Amino acid sequence: MFRQIAISCLLTAMALPAVAHTRPHYGGTLRVEVEGDPWQRPGGLARQLVLDGLTATSVDGNVRPALAVEWKPENDNHRWQFKLRSDVHFHNGTLVSSTNVVAALTAICGAGCPWTTVRAVGSSVIFLSDAPLPSLPELLATDEYRIALSGAEDGALPAGSIGTGPFQFVSFSNGVLLLAANDNCWQGRPFLDSVEIHAHRSIHDQWLDLSVGRADLVEVPAEQLRHAHEQRLNVVVSGPASLLALTVSDTGVLSNANLRASIAYAIDRSALSNVIFQKQGEITGSLLPAELTGYSFLFSTERDLNKAHELRGGASSQQLTIVAEGGPEMQLAAQRMALNLRDAGFNIQVASSGAAQHVDITLRKIALESSEPGPALELMLRKAGSPAPVLEQTPASLYKIERQILDAHMVIPLLYLPCAYGVGGRVRDLRLRADGSPLLAGASLEDAP
Amino acid sequence: MRNTVKRYNPPKREIDEMMKPMKSWGLIAGLAGLLACAVARAATATSQWEQPCTELADEIAGILGPGQAQLTIRNASAVSTDEIPAIRRLLEQDLKAKGVQASGAESANAIRVTLSENLRERLWVAEIVEGNETRVAMVTSVLELAAAPSAADKVILQKQQIWHSIWVSDLDPFRGFQSDDSVFAANFTHNGELVLMEPGFIKIARHGFGGYSFHGANIFELPQRQLQARDPRGIIQLSTDGKNFKAFTSGIECDGTFAPPADPSDFKVIGWTVHCHASDDPWPILQIESSTAAPPLKAFFNAARDYFTGVVTPSVAAELPPFYSAALLPRPDGAGLLIDGIDGKVQLAESGSLKTVSGTRDWGSDFAALHSACGTGTQIIASGSGEAITDSLRAYELPALEAIPASAPLAMEGTVTALWSEPDGKSVFAIVRKAAGPGRADSYEVDRVSANCN
Repeated sequence: MFRQIAISCLLTAMALPAVAHTRPHYGGTLRVEVEGDPWQRPGGLARQLVLDGLTATSVDGNVRPALAVEWKPENDNHRWQFKLRSDVHFHNGTLVSSTNVVAALTAICGAGCPWTTVRAVGSSVIFLSDAPLPSLPELLATDEYRIALSGAEDGALPAGSIGTGPFQFVSFSNGVLLLAANDNCWQGRPFLDSVEIHAHRSIHDQWLDLSVGRADLVEVPAEQLRHAHEQRLNVVVSGPASLLALTVSDTGVLSNANLRASIAYAIDRSALSNVIFQKQGEITGSLLPAELTGYSFLFSTERDLNKAHELRGGASSQQLTIVAEGGPEMQLAAQRMALNLRDAGFNIQVASSGAAQHVDITLRKIALESSEPGPALELMLRKAGSPAPVLEQTPASLYKIERQILDAHMVIPLLYLPCAYGVGGRVRDLRLRADGSPLLAGASLEDAP
Repeated sequence: MRNTVKRYNPPKREIDEMMKPMKSWGLIAGLAGLLACAVARAATATSQWEQPCTELADEIAGILGPGQAQLTIRNASAVSTDEIPAIRRLLEQDLKAKGVQASGAESANAIRVTLSENLRERLWVAEIVEGNETRVAMVTSVLELAAAPSAADKVILQKQQIWHSIWVSDLDPFRGFQSDDSVFAANFTHNGELVLMEPGFIKIARHGFGGYSFHGANIFELPQRQLQARDPRGIIQLSTDGKNFKAFTSGIECDGTFAPPADPSDFKVIGWTVHCHASDDPWPILQIESSTAAPPLKAFFNAARDYFTGVVTPSVAAELPPFYSAALLPRPDGAGLLIDGIDGKVQLAESGSLKTVSGTRDWGSDFAALHSACGTGTQIIASGSGEAITDSLRAYELPALEAIPASAPLAMEGTVTALWSEPDGKSVFAIVRKAAGPGRADSYEVDRVSANCN
């Protein structure tokens, strides 16, 4: 993967003009194309531009102040106080207050929030929880908890689209979402005048539009990175951004831990990496990537079909169902997993997500949302459906937690995948967050008027 | 000896004879020096591994207890392979001291040590295998950063931090936080007070115990503006006597005037008043140095686009394109105006024409002129490309139309967001934005950068 990153850097360097770097230019419209829905939660690109969180994640993956300027844990991480930045306004001019932040958070998760209570006290927002929440600042930086003004819908704008971010919602018609610069943004006006996001564009069409100058930023799925390089696209690639993993049910026949362990031994990660993801993934047996911990080599990634057979022991001929969350490449990967499991004697079928009545195994991508290993692990566990506080941050204690979780074989890490984008020649200063999402508020256009 | 040689001027053979004993002693001294250096280096190299070796041996012995085990070491880190024998030796010694004897392959127990690392630290992992059971021990140590390379050049740039942003946490009064208010212009008054421009404010600070401090009476609010740029810009220009200043930022002009306070001992009252108003007047970007009485060169600023339009007053003979930065340089035919166009081209306006300057590909969009006693006497201090999180400044000279590096890059440990010459031209001010780490906002500091001759 590092070779590809080097190639990407080389291509970027080749595209540089032989003049000095200037300050970013103000103005212009950035044309972005995406395969999915830019307003989907979580992960929609437009949401990241329109809405801010109490905290944010920087390029280096660290949590930093956003709508909150500082925060403080108390009572062993059972109580948190977040002090709000003063004089920040929503796009419609409403002042951001602790009351409307609490209303926004309540609207997001209602009774299913990670905390027990959230309340407004002066210019602070107080979170109380029965279980300790040591990574609450990191959690609040995720896309899930961006703050939108509640109860301000006037029909012209979709629900939850009035935020404080660098861009504001203008329109969404004919599959094109138009955002305009927020001149009064607390972070300062963004360099771009507007961002035009074309939704539901196939990767083929995106690349075509990039090549003829109709798009400035397009998606490059990990499995097509090699193809993008062959096509000489100018590509920016993140580090490991999401974990491809199997989550395994512990109910029914799979309540047998040996069967779950058998599944883990039957998986051929190398074939998955080489065939489906074109060697663009980083094979892993651990939840956290090696860059964050240094200990991932302790988790085996080797396929051991004999052991898989031995552990299964002819225990089950009952049909299992595997589904994949995501696009066609995930379906292909699920089919590959099913082949691996059939080799180990499992009777398994691949079902499409949503159609299956009972799901035994799910193939999914789990975003890496922090470069701090403790919070990163805690957020991953939460997304994998097994929330647990990670109170100690030393490699030895993190290893113990990972070992305990992975020995239960309810989560089977497979590959770490990067995020990549094809970038047009006029785009400048585009950076990616640790989770691979593009920081468009800091980008500018070379030929802006 | 020197006088003798001068008077007599002996032939080379005779000099060689006279120098022989000295050469021998010199050789011995040289060898001794080399040996001492080698020993010191080896000692330093070994000493950095002592602590992790001792800690790991403790952990291993705690798990394994006294006995024998086969020890293998695998290097999966940036530690040089040359260091592995020393690490192995230290580890074996430490294990032996705790009753664990590193033995050959015949031992039933095995200790597999992996020298690993992550983004923050070295991680040494021992897998201790006893029969079917494997247990794990880990120790960490600090990951040293490689030293920056140095270069021999005409000048050596030095920086001195003169101010950095700090405020006290409201939630925890004992915790110092770094403010994330961006600073975009700074200057010093005749009394040595520091004038800063931040979004919405002009602040004047007096130096006291512990550095510069602000009092409410010396914080002046700027009028509300329609546009607040993401990278706001401004300039603070002192009058020649330093008793007044003019400050400009997007669409706003401020006048600062000094009147001695009635009670000079009152630390909080420093005698400045500041009045601001909306203005599209050109900014005084450069003082023409040949005559301090001459009016400064002023440039019109496009507040919506954050650059100078290219229209300057008094006009220069050449027609200027829109630009970000400008510096005046002495040239054989008078003065030249160096500008950094918004298209990234660095051009020199001299003798009525605009000429492209080469060798500026690594420049960022900020530069300033610095007058030193080194080289040609005037260097251009230019920021780096700004792409990196850690920016740098470097001195260049412009003998013709190619910028020639005159110093090694000076690391600024952050991104240089503004750069301009001090009134005497002997140093430049740099504003640096620093990433402050987890849970902290970016902080800002003002540095003074000067040049020493190499």
